[in-house]
Amino acid sequence: MTPGSVRLPLTVIGGYLGAGKTTLLNHLLANPDGQRIAVLVNDFGEIDIDGRLLDSATDHVLRLANGCICCSVADNFAETLETVRGFAECIDRVVVEVSGVGQPHKVSQWGHSPGFSPDGVVVLVDPLSILNRAVDPYVGDTVVAQVAQADLVVISRTDLASVDELEATEAWLDGVTGATVLRAPLPTAVLLGPAFRPLDLDHFPPARKVNHGSVAGGPQHADHVTISRRLDGPISRPSIETWAQSRPGGVVRAKGLVRVNDRPNDRTVLQICGSSTMVSVDGPWDDGEDAVVAIALPGTPRAALVKWLNLLR
Amino acid sequence: MSHPPVEDQPPPTTVFPARAIHTLDLTVPSGSAIAVKDGRFLALGKTDELVDVYGGTVDHSLADKVLLPGFVEAHSHKDTGGIWQFTYVGFEARRGPNGRLWRGCTTFDAVVDRLREADRLLDDPGEPLLAWGLDPIFWPGERFDRRQLDAVSTTRRIFVAHSNMHLATVNSALMEQEGIDPDTVAEGVPKDDSGWPTGELQEFPAMALAGQTFRSFFGRTQSDESVLMFGQAARNVGVTTVADLGTSNLLDEAVVQQWIDIADETFPMRAAMFHGALMSAPDGDEACAAAMVDLKRRSTDRVRFGNVKLLMDGSIQGGTARLRWPGYLHGGPNGIWLIAPEQAAERIGPYHRAGLLVHTHANGDQAVDALLDAFDQVQTANPLPDHRHTIQHCQMTTPGQYRRMKALGMCANVFSNHTWFWGDQHRAITVGPDRAARMNAARTALDIGVPLSMHSDSPVTPLGPLHVAWAAINRQTPKGEIMGEHERVTVAEAMHAVTMGAAWQLRMDDVIGSITPQKFADCAVLEADPFEVDPAELRDIPVWGTMSGGVLHQGSPQTDA
Ligand SMILES: Nc1nc2c(ncn2[C@@H]2O[C@H](COP(=O)(O)OP(=O)(O)O)[C@@H](O)[C@H]2O)c(=O)[nH]1
Ligand SMILES: [Mg+2]
Ligand SMILES: [Zn+2]
Repeated sequence: MTPGSVRLPLTVIGGYLGAGKTTLLNHLLANPDGQRIAVLVNDFGEIDIDGRLLDSATDHVLRLANGCICCSVADNFAETLETVRGFAECIDRVVVEVSGVGQPHKVSQWGHSPGFSPDGVVVLVDPLSILNRAVDPYVGDTVVAQVAQADLVVISRTDLASVDELEATEAWLDGVTGATVLRAPLPTAVLLGPAFRPLDLDHFPPARKVNHGSVAGGPQHADHVTISRRLDGPISRPSIETWAQSRPGGVVRAKGLVRVNDRPNDRTVLQICGSSTMVSVDGPWDDGEDAVVAIALPGTPRAALVKWLNLLR
Repeated sequence: MSHPPVEDQPPPTTVFPARAIHTLDLTVPSGSAIAVKDGRFLALGKTDELVDVYGGTVDHSLADKVLLPGFVEAHSHKDTGGIWQFTYVGFEARRGPNGRLWRGCTTFDAVVDRLREADRLLDDPGEPLLAWGLDPIFWPGERFDRRQLDAVSTTRRIFVAHSNMHLATVNSALMEQEGIDPDTVAEGVPKDDSGWPTGELQEFPAMALAGQTFRSFFGRTQSDESVLMFGQAARNVGVTTVADLGTSNLLDEAVVQQWIDIADETFPMRAAMFHGALMSAPDGDEACAAAMVDLKRRSTDRVRFGNVKLLMDGSIQGGTARLRWPGYLHGGPNGIWLIAPEQAAERIGPYHRAGLLVHTHANGDQAVDALLDAFDQVQTANPLPDHRHTIQHCQMTTPGQYRRMKALGMCANVFSNHTWFWGDQHRAITVGPDRAARMNAARTALDIGVPLSMHSDSPVTPLGPLHVAWAAINRQTPKGEIMGEHERVTVAEAMHAVTMGAAWQLRMDDVIGSITPQKFADCAVLEADPFEVDPAELRDIPVWGTMSGGVLHQGSPQTDA
């Protein structure tokens, strides 16, 4: 693979102060699910840096000053991403923690930068405080905008919240966002998407169960379902549209690198994160295999998933 | 063997007679000449008396000039100089630090002609053409896009930043090189009917698609040249001290050393350096505060460290400032927080406790509320009698908020130039004529007793305290409206604000801000007397240059392009 031929997926983690963003990042670093994850944060003090940030074999940690990504003071962030891009060979993806008052959706636009591809806006919500925050005269609108523009909302502190609090939070979320709403804890592959690189498919045999790691203190979750399919060759554009519109309930993440028969020489990326589906072209086809991987909630019937992926033809 | 005694050469005294001298120090009676020694004011009086008492030589070069204390710009940025490395294509005429007049580009053709000329001057075909100041707001209904830029060059990359620095327009050559094409799905990349991006890139993530070209443009403040040009720009408008408000990352030793090295006694400017802690406190605020305390000890006569800049919200014209009820007149969503209100005290606290000076940007009235809550907590927990923490911009600060600022011992640095540069937009679009009349309430601040300065925020508006003072005195908009007569200040108050008022807020009033014996011999050297001219013409007073540490620095010769 020539350097730079694969774009680094960039996932943005947002949510108000104390929602659990840093806790989640530390959890991802501790349970990387085979992926080498670089994290970008404003304050390194809270991150468990012990070499897991990058491939420990390289024996160094990528520390970036000026990593602030608030929207109005963002010109430095381009430099930061350029530095990260220099490490593209030894990382698989980038996760950015947005400040508690930042707009994660806006920050995710940096994912279009050269060498990166946006890979989801995940917003954490604390069920113990969100309903009060949402009517706070200073930050209410900020908090609502954060969840409204998320792809995937994750309710944290499920170990502390009562069933009533969780349900009230879900009811409120239902009114303010079209995002997929899930309760923590969640496996890394759901939060970040499958560890998928075009030439790595052999490492992901079909229907492999996802590794489990749980958010601190949370109850063990049931198994999520992962399913993947190799395609025989270029597929048709209408089949992609059909596929996107008939997604079975329970699918929370999917990624495909495929050729489309009207653009057989380009790499078309299919991507699902929570409620959002994105089809984009990110470069010339690189002789990998055309394939799709999807992850669904526990209990999602495998047959439905197989049938769905078979729509791509 | 004993050494021969070293002959003590007393440093020479120079006496400068002047047409008029305004000391801005009530305890120093006005005189007709100043005596300068060792880079400091020695005494004020009549030429003959001064020569009799102190000896030395008389320098008559300022005999027909008017001297004021050197102006102090308490809110500016390093790009004030560096931006002029690039081609200016703005609507209004502006003069660069080298004295060159850049005529306003009032038509598309004028922009294209200006860029063609710049293109011809570049030798290396691989070097991008960088320009700034474009303001399509002046051409409603027409679209300035890559087509116009392609008429300049189809091979050289062209990047034109708009005047607000949040948008840029690029040409097809740049788009091709960076892969900006119909497959580009980023937000802020509008496309034309053919599906091709128009060349306009909106906001930083989209502008960053311009790759290395974008980074060269926004990395401009790194160069020595940009600091030198900042000094030139200051000298040309009578400024002898600036606050560089958070532009420079002072945790970067190279940046610190760059300033120390450049600002020697031949440099025409002093600088109060503020570390932008919002962006750069990678090990947390306590560690950052400790680093700033160490850095403070490396301050020189010309470069002061030990100051911190924070930001609460965005800008009013950008719709990103945080407003109280009833919000924006245009009905847009309320702005953005850069620091969460509940976290502000926690972020300010470490710097306050370390005895550092904290200047915080807050444009909207709601942002000021949150900031005052935070300073209330910080001061209650660790009362410091003379902290001089300052709110920067204070554009919508109300009388009630000024009373709280007074009670908390805070200072206000008001963005007076806004009445001229955005006054009509504030009246018509952002907040309406009623709130606009109460914006940048310098009169209220003074009446309540809040220590006041006023600023340009250059390069957001051009560096030039006479213009800033003119704006606060007249409060006139380009359309000729008077934006709140009751908030006007007098000439004397405005002159105080841009000298002593600013010096106080920078904790430098012991060494600058007035023509007072023992202070640094820093003067604004003017061709006319601000206290004599019609206040409506204050901004038109020609500036000869400055005296900085007793050394004369004549402004750049003005040339027309
Ligand atoms: N019990 C429990 N505590 C959590 C959970 N997530 C976060 N916390 C705690 O909540 C606090 C704030 O979390 P943090 O990750 O720093 O929030 P951030 O501001 O969004 O980064 C910390 O004390 C965490 O330990 C969770 O799922 N369960
Ligand atoms: Mg955090
Ligand atoms: Zn500023």
